[in-house]
Amino acid sequence: MIDDAMTDPDMTVFVVDDDAGIRSSLVRALSLRGYRVAAFASAVEFLDEFELGMGGCLVLDYGMPGMNGLELQRHLNNMGAQLPIVFITGHGGVPESVQAIKAGAVDFLEKPFRQADLIARIETAFQITRELRQTQARSEQQQARFGRLTSRESEIVERIVENPREASSKEIASALGISPRTVDHHRARIMEKLGVKSLAELIALASR
Amino acid sequence: MNRSLGALLAIGLAGLQLLAVLAVVFSSYVTSESALIHHARILLRDVGVNTIEHSKGFLSPAQGAAELAARLAENRVIASDDPALLEQLLFQQLQIAPQFAGAYYGAENGDFVHVLRMPSGPGVYRTKIITHVNGKRRVQLIWRNDDFSIAQTQEDPTDPYDPRVRPWYVKSKAERGTIWTDPYIFFTSQQPGITLAAPVLKDDHSVRGAVGVDIEISMISDFLSRLNIGAHGKALIINHNGDVIAHPNKNLIKTEDDDGTLRFADIGEIDDPIARAAFGTLAAAGGMPVAKETPSEFVYQGARYVSTALPIISDKLPWTIAVYAPEDDFTGVIKSNRTQNIWLAVVVSLLTAGAGLALAEYIHRPVRAFATRAALISQGEIDASEPMPRTFRELERANAALVREIAARRTAEKEYGETFNMSSRGMAQLHPDTGRFLRANARLTEITGYSDEDLAGMTFTDLLHPEDRRFWTAPHATDSALNHNMRMLRADGATIWVSVSAIVIRDAAGRPLHDVVTLDDVTQSKVNEQEIQRLNKDLSHLARGNTMGQMAAGLAHELNQPLTAIAQNADTAIFMLEREGGLDPELRDIVTEIEQQAIRAGDIIRALRGFIRKDEGARTSFDFAELLGQSLQLLRAEATEAGVRIKTDVPADLRQIVGNRVQIAQVLVNLIRNAIEAMSADRHNERLVTVSARTDGPMLLVTVSDTGPGIDPDVALFSQFATTKRTGMGLGLSICRSIIEGNGGKLWNEEGKQRGAVFQFTAPLAASDNSPRDSKQETGIV
Repeated sequence: MIDDAMTDPDMTVFVVDDDAGIRSSLVRALSLRGYRVAAFASAVEFLDEFELGMGGCLVLDYGMPGMNGLELQRHLNNMGAQLPIVFITGHGGVPESVQAIKAGAVDFLEKPFRQADLIARIETAFQITRELRQTQARSEQQQARFGRLTSRESEIVERIVENPREASSKEIASALGISPRTVDHHRARIMEKLGVKSLAELIALASR
Repeated sequence: MNRSLGALLAIGLAGLQLLAVLAVVFSSYVTSESALIHHARILLRDVGVNTIEHSKGFLSPAQGAAELAARLAENRVIASDDPALLEQLLFQQLQIAPQFAGAYYGAENGDFVHVLRMPSGPGVYRTKIITHVNGKRRVQLIWRNDDFSIAQTQEDPTDPYDPRVRPWYVKSKAERGTIWTDPYIFFTSQQPGITLAAPVLKDDHSVRGAVGVDIEISMISDFLSRLNIGAHGKALIINHNGDVIAHPNKNLIKTEDDDGTLRFADIGEIDDPIARAAFGTLAAAGGMPVAKETPSEFVYQGARYVSTALPIISDKLPWTIAVYAPEDDFTGVIKSNRTQNIWLAVVVSLLTAGAGLALAEYIHRPVRAFATRAALISQGEIDASEPMPRTFRELERANAALVREIAARRTAEKEYGETFNMSSRGMAQLHPDTGRFLRANARLTEITGYSDEDLAGMTFTDLLHPEDRRFWTAPHATDSALNHNMRMLRADGATIWVSVSAIVIRDAAGRPLHDVVTLDDVTQSKVNEQEIQRLNKDLSHLARGNTMGQMAAGLAHELNQPLTAIAQNADTAIFMLEREGGLDPELRDIVTEIEQQAIRAGDIIRALRGFIRKDEGARTSFDFAELLGQSLQLLRAEATEAGVRIKTDVPADLRQIVGNRVQIAQVLVNLIRNAIEAMSADRHNERLVTVSARTDGPMLLVTVSDTGPGIDPDVALFSQFATTKRTGMGLGLSICRSIIEGNGGKLWNEEGKQRGAVFQFTAPLAASDNSPRDSKQETGIV
């Protein structure tokens, strides 16, 4: 656990809470466990520092004067930030927690909470961040592979993916007004460029 | 009825009697008078007719004689030219007819024989004979005795008489028939008379001569004087030319002209003024002779007369018979009878009046006694139930009703008086004009401390506390009942609370008789009420301080923060101890226990909050102005007591706000109450709380400000348990803030004011149709 954290220097735990006692205890605990930690007394202070590419986890107090936790969550969503949020709250109302989870929060912890519980949520958040990052990377990779196809090849992939039941070379050829042999040739090239062995693999790849 | 019954009866009876008798008297008088006057007219006519007949009877023999003589002469029975035979014939005529004064014959040759009565001469008769023999005229006068013997003869050669120029001759010759002359005064006898002449014709119808007869008509006057026409009636004969030719007093009909000749007196000048009055006008107007019977009435010297004029006797005699008589001759008796009757009626009336008075007195005496008795009863001098004197049945019934009525009224008065005096409420009657006390019961004097004598000179307003006099309006002035609690000053100067009711009592005509006031001393219940109010306030204060929901919510939030820090730090300590090895198990247990206890405390708070959460209402949208109004309702008594005025400034067209209505009301009440309490110690300045609201973007901004001493800058207002109030717990504002935040708003203190405190909070406005709230809110935050 610790090792994971230590091995991932891109990950930061952002703590936003107006209570100084909570901020200092959390910063101390998380730092000792090897997390990179940044604490803020208000949402505005956090937004001043935060940039879109930053990853990790946001430990956010729900009830704060000024912009409260929910408002900050909505604001981040609107910005397009993909920072997973763990809410901590002294009020712990059911309606508020439902609202927060719906908006994409990892969890909603009622104060006071055990450190282990918080660490677990942070790890979940980190996992989500990592998966997000992998998906993003794969998607970029795929984008690059598909980018190597000619326009005729892309057109044929599109037809296959859109309508797998009519994916025979004959059917595609008649639809495009070319000979089935040419289609067969294109299909072989496509398989080769995308590194797939079967039609099913092609569809799975394209569907991601 | 104001007039006396007796006088009315007497006057009525006497008057009616008099009227009845007079009516009968006059009616019978009028009918008998008209009957008698009718009778008088008949009498007058009879007299007239009688006179006519008499006159005819008097004159017709003359006519017969004259005509006979003429026929004799005509038929040569008598040699008309023989004067001796003629004289003899004429003499015989005079002897037969005593009314003849003379008879004569004139011939065409101027011969004339005239025999006339002349008692004053030597004989009784005298004859004049004029003859012409051989142109020689001879006038011979012969006086004869009754037996035709000659008493004396005489020649008179100087006599110029010629019959042929005399009117009777000329007229009868011209008429060739018998003529009558108008009456005239005979020259010789100086008596009134009339001449009748008839012509004597020859065989060839030429005129030979004429025979004439003189008739004295004074005998008609004698006849008239013998007539009985009433006591004073007279009949007279008037010729067609107005001459009065016959009159009961025959001396009156002759009058002497300037030249000494005698003639008849005209009806207009005769010395009989009544006759003049009766017929003079008629004659002067040319009404003579009358054509038919002409009755008339006239007044002479105050006496009433009846008269009548009868037409002429015959064509030859154009005479009018005129008769008059005083009415009194006929109606005098009944007139005196009428006077008698009137006196009789007066006497009878007086007697009747007397009888009426006696009867009235008889009827009236018991009535008067009854009236006196009724007056005495109403003055209370005798009792209505005492037996009353014998009287009429009707009055006895009236008395019975009166007695019942009086008894009922006495009972009612007594009951009312007892109710009035014994009433447990203070009661008084007030004069509607002056407002002074007319009557007050014992309870009222007890409540006010004033005696009856004191009150008699006072008005109700005098009793009232000066500040509360505006609550009192005399009910007769507004015509509505009054019902109000007000303060009153007792005689000993103490202020008491009274509940006052008042109504107006009116008489049947709607005029106010008096105002009736009833009052209760409600001082004790007022004190109780104030005590209850105070307790209520304390209770609500207590309730406010202990409002579990807010307190627990605030506590939970505030306590969870340090607990979180404790738990985190304990966990961190355990982590560090494990990492560093050399672990003291006991220290590990201690720190673990710290962590566990912190979590447990959190659990306890959560449980508590879970329990409290039940009373939280759901969020709704509602009207802030209405909420403010209701909140002020709760605070009014408190503000009034502290002498604080509350002013509001809320636009009418505010949008609704969203939140927990009860919670926001609690915050509002809390802030205003804080303001009131902050100023309650300040006795010098104006004490005013102002609550205003306005729209601020998507939020409603509410401001509560006061004119109190303001906030001590050393106090951390929104921290829990920090307070400026001696009695406060320091939780109010922090709880308020957490409530407002829980409802999506903020609460803060506006600093920098020189005086007074200003608190503001916001609450989200409800979405309106054309203003998307979300986008606004975002721009507001970024």
